[in-house]
Amino acid sequence: MDFTWSKEQTELLDAVQRFASQRLKANVIESDRNDCFNLEDWKACGQFGIQGLPAPVEYGGLGMDALTTVGALERLGYACKDNGLLFSINAHLWTVVMPLITAGTEQQKRKYLPGLCNGTLIGANAMSEPNSGSDAFSLSTTAQKAGAKYVLNGSKTFVTNGPVGDLFAVYATVDKSKGAHGVSGFLVERNTPGLVIARKLEKMGLRTSPMAELYLEDCEVPAENLLGTEGGGSFLFTRSMTWERGCILASAVGSMQRLLETCVRYANTRKQFGQPIGKFQHVAGKIVDMKLRLETCRLLLYRGAWLRTQGKSGFLEASLAKLHISDCWVKTCEDALQIHGGYGYMVEYEIERELRDALGSRLYSGTSEIQRNLIASLLGL
Amino acid sequence: MKILVPFKRVPDPGSSSPYGMSEARPWIINPFDEIAIEEALRIRERGEAREVVGVTIAPSAAEEQIRAALAMGLDRALRVDDRRELDPYAVARILLAVVRQEKPDLVLMGKQAVDDDANQVGQMLAGLLNWPQATFVSKIEFLNGGQRAQCTRETDRGLEVIAVNLPAVVTTDLRLNEPRYVSLPGLMKARRRPIELLTCQQLAVEVQPRTTVAATSPAPRRSAGLKVESVEDLLVRLRQHEKVL
Amino acid sequence: MIQTLVILEHDGHCVKRASLSAVALARQLGGSYALGVLGSGVAEIADSVRSFGASVVLVADHPALAEPRADCYAAVIAETARQRGASTVVGTSSTFTKDILPRVAALLDAPMLSDVMAVEIKDGVPCYQRPLSAGSLCATVKLQGDVRVLTARGTAFHPPSPNGAPSPVEPIAFDAASLPNGTQFVSRERSTSTRPDLTEARVVVSGGRPLKDKETFERLIGGLADALGGAVGATRAAVDAGMAPNACQVGQTGTVVAPELYIAVGVSGAIQHLAGIQDSRVIVAINRDPDAPIFQMANYGLVGDLHALVPRLIEAVRA
Repeated sequence: MDFTWSKEQTELLDAVQRFASQRLKANVIESDRNDCFNLEDWKACGQFGIQGLPAPVEYGGLGMDALTTVGALERLGYACKDNGLLFSINAHLWTVVMPLITAGTEQQKRKYLPGLCNGTLIGANAMSEPNSGSDAFSLSTTAQKAGAKYVLNGSKTFVTNGPVGDLFAVYATVDKSKGAHGVSGFLVERNTPGLVIARKLEKMGLRTSPMAELYLEDCEVPAENLLGTEGGGSFLFTRSMTWERGCILASAVGSMQRLLETCVRYANTRKQFGQPIGKFQHVAGKIVDMKLRLETCRLLLYRGAWLRTQGKSGFLEASLAKLHISDCWVKTCEDALQIHGGYGYMVEYEIERELRDALGSRLYSGTSEIQRNLIASLLGL
Repeated sequence: MKILVPFKRVPDPGSSSPYGMSEARPWIINPFDEIAIEEALRIRERGEAREVVGVTIAPSAAEEQIRAALAMGLDRALRVDDRRELDPYAVARILLAVVRQEKPDLVLMGKQAVDDDANQVGQMLAGLLNWPQATFVSKIEFLNGGQRAQCTRETDRGLEVIAVNLPAVVTTDLRLNEPRYVSLPGLMKARRRPIELLTCQQLAVEVQPRTTVAATSPAPRRSAGLKVESVEDLLVRLRQHEKVL
Repeated sequence: MIQTLVILEHDGHCVKRASLSAVALARQLGGSYALGVLGSGVAEIADSVRSFGASVVLVADHPALAEPRADCYAAVIAETARQRGASTVVGTSSTFTKDILPRVAALLDAPMLSDVMAVEIKDGVPCYQRPLSAGSLCATVKLQGDVRVLTARGTAFHPPSPNGAPSPVEPIAFDAASLPNGTQFVSRERSTSTRPDLTEARVVVSGGRPLKDKETFERLIGGLADALGGAVGATRAAVDAGMAPNACQVGQTGTVVAPELYIAVGVSGAIQHLAGIQDSRVIVAINRDPDAPIFQMANYGLVGDLHALVPRLIEAVRA
């Protein structure tokens, strides 16, 4: 089993890390406090190529395989402290860019992918509704076919990138009686009449990633903006979920690496009772556990991605990775906070924010409970 | 105008990554040379130059850095194959041969390399060519339809402005510009671009470095002193203990 | 015939004191040395350096040399070295010598070493020491060939005191008409500062980015420097932000200083800055962050808000 990256991969990953550490240095404490999305940094990432990592080169992407993509995202998470920005980029990639690549028509790809890949178009996902979160396909937003268009009606919530989105992937049902088989995906452009971007939602963490509620009020969407097939929305959604679950926490692994280093540094320099606190077993033990968690997360992350490069679906592995990494990230943040003592509780040390950011990871892309259900059923239970 | 940008790869001074980059020693393009590449590209983008050619004297392992330079936007990249530790004068003599071959109107390069801080090559090259030179430049503008370059120089006495007739050698200082980031698409495209290989033999130049480093040792380091509690305490120490005030 | 030609720097009125450090290096190299003064209307300056033990003070005095254009100066210096059979040309490291002396080396087909900090003669062969990697390493270097060019790090060599019999002054013979004419001097910004030169001051007070703006920088850093009769320095970040002129930049790519007292205010201690101050006798750091790297090499550290501490310090110094 060869665990080494190739020369080309290493070159790309190093370039990503260098870019992030030199360019993405905004004052995240301020942005987090003020609930601000960093559009400048989003644009810089777009110009650099992040928003198009896995997209085919002919549409403006970099054509990176799953493994290189997660490697790049891990480095990004290591070098960039703005978890909200990375969350917005991930949402854009997995809920709009990837579905477009897998299910879009040639016209749709040519029209939207170039802009999505260089960051000039921001993608947003409108799936969850006030009454359907985990039970995604019980959604109520309707899409009525009317000649050469669909008319959408309903409301969406937790729309990541909603306030700044240019292109929305909206899921609606063409026939509620068909349950999941009635769900269809639509690409809706921002200024479409009837697409109302409503109130901005204030979150506990990932505050630099903007989120809003959305209303669809007789929103007319041209038929050519149907994404995939009518009734094929749930299949599309599930398929893009494999990519999402398998990749969205890659940057969390980078974060955990960064937190580990921060804690080792702190434990070696902070002295109490006449010695560095790293000499105390309780502290050292926590750091060891952080390392252990980090390595298991890495292995799961990469193996799942590797399976996808081999043409396998990697559905189970993606779910395992998502479940495990989210739990580990939260635990690592808690440990980092504890190791730093009172300072860990202070905003300026940026650890409390990591914890607030990490807690969301057990909720999005399918809650940890949902992941367990999925894995259980895949195990034949 | 054709611009030749000599650049050097140097060990990355700021590196300590757990991801342990490609080799044991991570390398980067010398920051001052990167500034030169950036300036040359901007001059071309303004329409004042038609070609920007980069050249480095290095072993084949420098390919990564050369590709990064190509990815920034060089029209061509040359590598003179030489893996020896060359001193500035040897470098200048090799560059002299490259200049004679490429015939640029302007040689634009970093004022010094951050590994040895010699700050000599550009000036030596200008001397060998008998071309005017403008060193430590923080601003460059072209006059008389590209026949002269007006350069602002950063000197110990403050900013100085001179004008040099082209062809000339100009060395860059920190505040000339902020180099663009190599984009990933740029990096990937650069992979397919050729790097022209040259040898000293082809260039008909034979150089032997005349500097021998007999030994290197870590420089004596100062150690941390003590923290004082107040302004008054500090002054007592400076006045009475150190007798420096 | 002289062994070493020492190029001195002046500002049109008097010799820059730090440039005399090169004389100390010339003395250590052994043999006779000449001092070289170039410019226009420099008779008095030449006169002022007659008591530094040189075999001769050589002067190139001509309107064409009014400004230190590298191509002209290098041509004259190289020709002088050849005429006098000098095997070594030295100067104290500064933007003046960095600009001109490498070109001289090329004209003389000679290798060059910059920022020499010490020299030891072993079996008749000089071994030079110079810094590498932002001052973190020290290299011992030998040069081959009959001729060489060196610049001396001013902080490493003590300028000699004037004494001894006065040296004769001789003009340098050169053909002004055949000097290169590809460089035109346009302008130089006038410095109205009455503060001592950075390389000559006993005390240097430097400020970093936390000084916020030009006015605050001048008020606090300038204020403290004035109270102590010192010079003002700045980090690269402060200069980049427009708080201080580039001539104040202290560090690896700016000016290297070694005053009796260096006070770093709001300076975190990036390695490139530390490279420019490590030979200072006493270093004091004032910074809000107790973990700032500068505290690892400062003799005294004061942790706190510089906006409160510096005015107090200025007051206390004046008291």
